Amino acid sequence: MSEKEKKEMVGYRQQPGKISFSRPGSGGKGPFSEPRDEEMIPESQGGKKEQPWGDHRHDKLITGRIVGKPTSLVDSKWKVTGRAKYGDDIRLPNELIGKIVRSPHHYARVLSIDLSKALELPGVVSIATGDDASNKFGVLPVTKDEHAMAVERVRHIGDLVACVAAEDEATALEAVRLINVEYEILESIHDMKDGLKDSKDPIHDRGEYHIGEANVQKRVFQEFGNIESMQENAVVSHKNNWFFNGVNHAATEPHAVVADWDPSGRLTLYTPQQVPHYVHRALADVLEIPMHQINVHRTFVGGGFGGKSDPFPHEMCASILARKSGRPVRITFDREEVYWINRGRHPSHIEMNLHADKQGRLCGIETDALIDGGAFASFGHVTTYYNGVLHTAPYEIGAFHYTGARVWTNKPASGAMRGHGAVNSRCAVEVGIDDISEKLQVDPISFRLANLLPPNSATITGFRVTSIGMRECLERVMEESGWKEKFRKMPLGHGIGIGCGFFISGSGLPIHWDPNKFPHATVHLKIDMDGGVTVHTGAADIGQGSDTVVAQSVAEVLGLPLDMIRIKSRETDTSPVDLGSYSSRVTFMNANAAISAAMKIREDLLNATSEITDAPVEKLVIGDRRIFRKDDPAVGVSYLEALHKAQEERGALVASGAYRTPPMGRAHKGAAAGLAPAYSFSAYVAEVKVDVETGQTKVEKVWAAHDCGKALNPLAVKGQIIGSCHMGMGQVLSEEMRYGRTGNLMNTDLLDYKIPSIHEMPEVTPIIVESNDPEGPFGAKEAGEGPLLPILPAVCNAVYDAIGVRSNELPITPDRLYKDIEKKCRELKIEEPIDLPSPRLETSKLQKTLEKRAEQHSVRDKERRLKSDIKPYHNGALFGMDPTIPPDEVDESWKVTVIPSKKYLETPRLAGSAWLHTERRKRGE
Amino acid sequence: MKMPPFNLHIPTSIDEAIEIAKDLDSNGDEFDWVAGGTDLLPNYKWHLNSKKNVISLAKISQLTELSETHIGAMVRLQDLADSELTHPVLVKSANSIASIMIRRSGTVGGNICLDTRCYWYNQTEDWRESIDWCHKCDCGTGADCRVIPNQNTLCVATYQADLAPVLMCMGARVHLISISGKREMLLNDFFELDGMKKNKLLPGELLTHITLPEETLQWNGDYQKLRQRESWDFPEAGVAVLWKKDGENLKQLRVATTGLESIPGYHEDISSELVKDWNGRESIKLLSEQIRKAVKPVQNTWYTPSYRRKMVKVLTKRACKGLLGE
Repeated sequence: MSEKEKKEMVGYRQQPGKISFSRPGSGGKGPFSEPRDEEMIPESQGGKKEQPWGDHRHDKLITGRIVGKPTSLVDSKWKVTGRAKYGDDIRLPNELIGKIVRSPHHYARVLSIDLSKALELPGVVSIATGDDASNKFGVLPVTKDEHAMAVERVRHIGDLVACVAAEDEATALEAVRLINVEYEILESIHDMKDGLKDSKDPIHDRGEYHIGEANVQKRVFQEFGNIESMQENAVVSHKNNWFFNGVNHAATEPHAVVADWDPSGRLTLYTPQQVPHYVHRALADVLEIPMHQINVHRTFVGGGFGGKSDPFPHEMCASILARKSGRPVRITFDREEVYWINRGRHPSHIEMNLHADKQGRLCGIETDALIDGGAFASFGHVTTYYNGVLHTAPYEIGAFHYTGARVWTNKPASGAMRGHGAVNSRCAVEVGIDDISEKLQVDPISFRLANLLPPNSATITGFRVTSIGMRECLERVMEESGWKEKFRKMPLGHGIGIGCGFFISGSGLPIHWDPNKFPHATVHLKIDMDGGVTVHTGAADIGQGSDTVVAQSVAEVLGLPLDMIRIKSRETDTSPVDLGSYSSRVTFMNANAAISAAMKIREDLLNATSEITDAPVEKLVIGDRRIFRKDDPAVGVSYLEALHKAQEERGALVASGAYRTPPMGRAHKGAAAGLAPAYSFSAYVAEVKVDVETGQTKVEKVWAAHDCGKALNPLAVKGQIIGSCHMGMGQVLSEEMRYGRTGNLMNTDLLDYKIPSIHEMPEVTPIIVESNDPEGPFGAKEAGEGPLLPILPAVCNAVYDAIGVRSNELPITPDRLYKDIEKKCRELKIEEPIDLPSPRLETSKLQKTLEKRAEQHSVRDKERRLKSDIKPYHNGALFGMDPTIPPDEVDESWKVTVIPSKKYLETPRLAGSAWLHTERRKRGE
Repeated sequence: MKMPPFNLHIPTSIDEAIEIAKDLDSNGDEFDWVAGGTDLLPNYKWHLNSKKNVISLAKISQLTELSETHIGAMVRLQDLADSELTHPVLVKSANSIASIMIRRSGTVGGNICLDTRCYWYNQTEDWRESIDWCHKCDCGTGADCRVIPNQNTLCVATYQADLAPVLMCMGARVHLISISGKREMLLNDFFELDGMKKNKLLPGELLTHITLPEETLQWNGDYQKLRQRESWDFPEAGVAVLWKKDGENLKQLRVATTGLESIPGYHEDISSELVKDWNGRESIKLLSEQIRKAVKPVQNTWYTPSYRRKMVKVLTKRACKGLLGE
């Protein structure tokens, strides 16, 4: 210690031992601060990172440390070393094993439940039935129709009737066998078309809102524009009746839950949930205790994909059994039970009609979607809308008609699954465009490029679209796949196809509250002396990397290495409320909230630095664990010095940041469905080989371009793209929930539910397009769900290119495709499929027109994405309307209608016929 | 999913195994043999006809002998596929079974004696209760067959193993042992048309090994398999075609099928008739058509019966490709 320092050691603060305190804290793993990486600093801030899509409001926060660099997920080491605890890994002292008594009938009234024998079995600790929890719950507040266990009736095979907690699994299973339930069998409904009809015993009763006496859970009617005009102007039309079989998420981890009432009387529920907050609410409803008495602890999640986003009856069961027994109760599903709880993609009948006019414009889309909801509502209210509204972009459309209906049937409930509600109708639209292009004798990519909405525009349904990288996606996949040399030019059995996608980046409306009253996402930060940043967030990491993206955002803004950020996202006790991991909202909303919290800490650090160095705050920049003058980097302080200065009077720095969506959208009924603060876009090209003699399809290569705004973590984005391809390939080629002649689900195991294996997986080339969304965190949008959409139509269209046959049922299993091949052979009077002709393209004059229009639009789009003073652009401009005014204000014949006319009801389409019923309250009942 | 408890017996010699079987039998105790366990244990987890006693063959080293003409019942499928002594067509069929992990555990004997499979049978107990059980595992209810309703005399569950058709074409013989002694028969004669009985094994009888004729290497051929995925899946249809040539002339031709009925089909009657007047491509076409007509699949696996029959034709044609010498 120097003499000077010794002299300075005066005053009571440093009396003890008269020695200097060691400096607490850490600088992360690197001993020296690294120089700023100018390659990662945007041009707008004087760095070298090019910004072809313009600058961004977060540019000034970029320290060049983390964002945009491929980063392994922050929890990956836990997973690869086996240290991660998933639902079934939770072991509490004195735990009991819970098992569920399930209905063996499709639909029945529960007459009596005899528990006596089971209760006598040694080792059985407690048993619960529907009588123990009569309150309803459901993921959407408008459609709560589930009970923890059957109250009065069971609605599908596998529906919960009772549950048992015992000392071990064998005893619990034996007790389940000993419970005798007496049923009165009711007439069950399996074909969703029957759900549209009046029924003696509708599966649910919605009171005054019940639609007729039918099993229609939700119906939607929407018309935008001049509907009559579309067929008048059409020179070619496409019509197809699709059937999409239901698919399940088939996450690796089956559902598992542990419920524990602690000695202070609070419930902790350990569950691999995507949406802990909704479970939190539902538990309070069902158990009739206040929310503050419940701590929902999200374990590691072994795959969600939407299959773990509802509050589930087994979560209620475990809690009820734990309350009754006073001991922790663990329930882990067998794979079969995963299929019984389902919430997978709806089986759907979709009628898709597309019309194009002589200028190669999409003058109309008419869609009718009947979707099979199974026994409960789940997210179905939203799904019914999404089947329509989510295919109104990225194209400019002359007029749009949609009728949708969701019916209850006696099957496991359908719900939200990756690409929620958008996947099936998107497939139908994109295949339709392929067909329309063929009829117009134009290249389908040229057709798309000449019909895209520009950046900063409004769709026909009034969605506010900000950034659009659709054109770039199309151009990139066309280029990289060698499209022009291959399309309609390859030999029989070898084909190439294109498909596009459009998806929400976060749902605009929080389901449970007014977005003006409470934010969508909130993030808390806390930094103490050690310098490490504790992030409290309720966003659920389900393997998609949400912990990582939050850590990255905070680390970037504060110029810290990732190992200084610790994410606490597991418990509702410590996490601020977050809506959870669905609707591709987490990166957009949660990272925005994290950035705004980090900005507050950043400000504190800059002020402290300014105080120490006398440099004005505006001159300061943050580098790697150092804050310094931009014009004189020698003047500055370390991160820790600044931090400790800022802490002098306050102790630990804490900050809260939140995100809410801006007001947007139209005002018609259902206008909020599909509204999002931003949208993702994607275009895939798939190359396939089809064995024309067997109908077997092998996807050889996929070029997958996705506009995610900005890849905060390119490694994770690529992972999502490749994973989406795998999942979508399952739905298009082999996965289906297959119901047998008796209405039973025949393939409740992973041998017969055919997820593609590594052998089926093609080589995927992920292409990231960064359209720099103005409101996204650092420009980012979603990458978790949108990338799934295009693979289905791309494969369907490639199959057509290969053999000239279009299927209208997914999955295109070989037996189905072979039937279509035989049909085609009969039509063409060909004996052997090997002699089928390959489709060829001879372009019409329209091709040049489209190419020219696409070029003009390309210039228009670049202007619109870079200029700040752009005029509004409403869908309809392509058809000669004034783009700056909403079309209904320009043209009287351009209408928004949400109730069908009498004329429509004379000849309704399939789902549209749901409107033939009158609601009970309107019948005066 | 929990297996019902059972007593596991682990003999180290064939004699000891037979002795244990005898003891159990004399006490009226039912039992199953277990080899690799990849078929039996999943079925036990599903509570499918599980027994209170299981005799494991895993420690009987006598059963693992492998040569060009002798294949022990306990030879692991992957070892069979990897061995240089194995006929190439048998290698191809062995390599197509399930996945590599299952092949490392599954055995030749187990594959030949594979339990028949059916959508209405290979399900959990809860599931089967929901259809009021089925003939193959009726839990004492005398339930009907769910594939062909209103009959409970014949089980139509499908035999979906890959080795049998190839071995049948090779003229393999199975060697059995029981307390009453040893016996052997052609593999072609081993199977018995009923999804429950499946084969001629008597209670307490054990398949020890199979033998192949010395001349096997003079045979060429192919095995073609139909399935949804290139891994894991059982054959929805499988066709083995083997032939012997005398110079350029086709001398003998044998065809066997699997995955189509309760037992594998052996169709030498059809093929030898055609060999008499063999005419290359034309004959192959006739053969394929006749094999298609000879099989009668039912609706109890992943693909529809009509598709499986049509594909038998394609598979036969493809398996014969080597005959064309192109």
